[in-house]
Amino acid sequence: MAAIVLEKLNKHYGSLHHAVKDVDLTIADKEFVALVGPSGCGKSTTLRMIAGLEDISSGEIRIGDRVVNHLPPRDRDIAMVFQNYALYQHMSVYDNLAFGLRNKKMPESEIKAAIDRATEMLGLHELLKRKPRQLSGGQQQRVALGRCIVRNPLVFLFDEPLSNLDAKLRAQMRIEIKRLHAQLPTTSVFVTHDQVEAMTLGDRVVVMKDGRVQQAGTPLSVYGHPVNKFVAGFIGAPAMNFLDVTIAKEGDTVVAQSPAVKLAVSEASSRALEAYKGRRVIMGLRPEHLALGDGVLSRSFAAKVEVVEQLGSEILLETRVGDARVTAARVPPETVVAAGDQVRLSVQPGRLHFFDPETENVITG
Amino acid sequence: MAMVRTPLMFGRLPLGGRRLLFALALTGICLAFAFPVLWLILTSLRPESGVYYVHRGTEFTLASFAEVLQDDRLLQAFFNSALISTLATIFSLLVTVSSGYMLSRFRGPAAQTWFGTIYVFRCVPYISWVLPLYFVAQSWGIYDTYIGLLLPHIAVHICFFSWLMKGFFDGIDPSMEHAALIDGCTRWGAFIRVALPSAIPAISALAVLCWLFTWNEFLFALILTGNKVPVITVVMAQFVTEMGLRWNLMAATAVMALVPAFLLALFGQKYVIRGLRI
Repeated sequence: MAAIVLEKLNKHYGSLHHAVKDVDLTIADKEFVALVGPSGCGKSTTLRMIAGLEDISSGEIRIGDRVVNHLPPRDRDIAMVFQNYALYQHMSVYDNLAFGLRNKKMPESEIKAAIDRATEMLGLHELLKRKPRQLSGGQQQRVALGRCIVRNPLVFLFDEPLSNLDAKLRAQMRIEIKRLHAQLPTTSVFVTHDQVEAMTLGDRVVVMKDGRVQQAGTPLSVYGHPVNKFVAGFIGAPAMNFLDVTIAKEGDTVVAQSPAVKLAVSEASSRALEAYKGRRVIMGLRPEHLALGDGVLSRSFAAKVEVVEQLGSEILLETRVGDARVTAARVPPETVVAAGDQVRLSVQPGRLHFFDPETENVITG
Repeated sequence: MAMVRTPLMFGRLPLGGRRLLFALALTGICLAFAFPVLWLILTSLRPESGVYYVHRGTEFTLASFAEVLQDDRLLQAFFNSALISTLATIFSLLVTVSSGYMLSRFRGPAAQTWFGTIYVFRCVPYISWVLPLYFVAQSWGIYDTYIGLLLPHIAVHICFFSWLMKGFFDGIDPSMEHAALIDGCTRWGAFIRVALPSAIPAISALAVLCWLFTWNEFLFALILTGNKVPVITVVMAQFVTEMGLRWNLMAATAVMALVPAFLLALFGQKYVIRGLRI
């Protein structure tokens, strides 16, 4: 069991492309961390540097108490699951599982015992004699998981392991991976571009963009307290709405207003927004925090419905507010609403997020 | 059916008519390729007096085959050709496979230099190698020996087939090798134990191509061998004598030389096709 420490980690490809920039990250022993970000954000490169498949341009990686910067992958005591499974095509499932252990010169009897345990956990018994190409995508990925488990390594690395599976299977495998981590608590790093996977799997979510870590925290803190506009927009589905507003004071209350919107701001935000009085800021509203209905005037605004998406469990409303588009979710499915309707959307003042228009960082007191 | 795209030429015809035309076109192409071979076989079965009238006479004989099979030199040429083809295939594959792998997986000065080298050699016209090779073979004392013919063949294979091999390896996902590296293999071990077995169809395809290339090769063999190492393509051409052209014997030899190549192509084609598809 081991913690992973990344210190000032950098990766340059040639002189032009700086893929990973000064990444500092500590992953605790047995913690499950999800690295998430859009493609090209450096998350996979970071993972491959931990694995030893990419050289490090500068910085340090420690696994447990060892600096592994210059250790080849085989000496790092890690296991990795790849997006396209990466099973050895010419070997049976059993030989795939045994490959790493045979390289360690483990006696066959112990190998068999380890494989028995893993196949039990993953339900692979019937597949042991088959070749990878005779398996479905989901089965192949379970074998790939098994290949990691039997090794009993210090660290599990996952490189977008669910991206090639269809939506239903993806949800199943997500649960399977979660269950596995509960049964075999092992330090894990999971790379994905899918924020739902990151949120559901990670003890901690690390959001990356352009090679930099934007925010690292529990799923709830990343969702509830995004540090900048990028994280706010990336985490959460449907994505957060952003409106340009001006901060003003009306009597004792601070309000955020635009030609189409005028909302009272919570006390905590009022203090934070003190310095922004009379200035333009970006206001963020999560679709799921918008409710249909009049409510108090200071907590609601008028919107014109453009598209109604009935999901059965809820309705998604695509509306126009002034010249901005605003999505509202969690509208009860039986609500009678049609495109073209004028509605009022209300929001709790505590649910408003404000970002500096220049730095795009969250405005806090 | 309006959405189905058909070649403009056949577009107006009903489906059956289109099929028929397609079959006719294919048959025509096949005949065009097969015709010289058929003519060759016919010639080999005609008596010497009939070779210029293959299309007329009805007299057929196996005498030409019997005559060439009496010739020790010809039998030795068959043996030499087979031996040299096999050895050239084995030795060139040893280099070609690893060099193709390097070109596919590695970047950096070594790979680039190697890439440049074989690129340049590929661009040089084949025929312009022959004369210098002759002088080299003479001065090294390997003229008219197995090794003197083998070495140039291996060199040509490496230059021509490393590219094909690179293409094959480009088609194999490298993450399998990465998994092997993590599972305890060295870089070399990952190549031998994981990449190589997945490339077996491609390697078989290449082996067939290499073997046929050397078996059919004429120019190097003509210039770099004399009497001591006869090979089949050269011996075949030597039926041009002061007594005239012995067309029937030449045809009989050619038919026999076709057989191994034909068999190899027949049984090897599934590997070639599978290999090229990767």
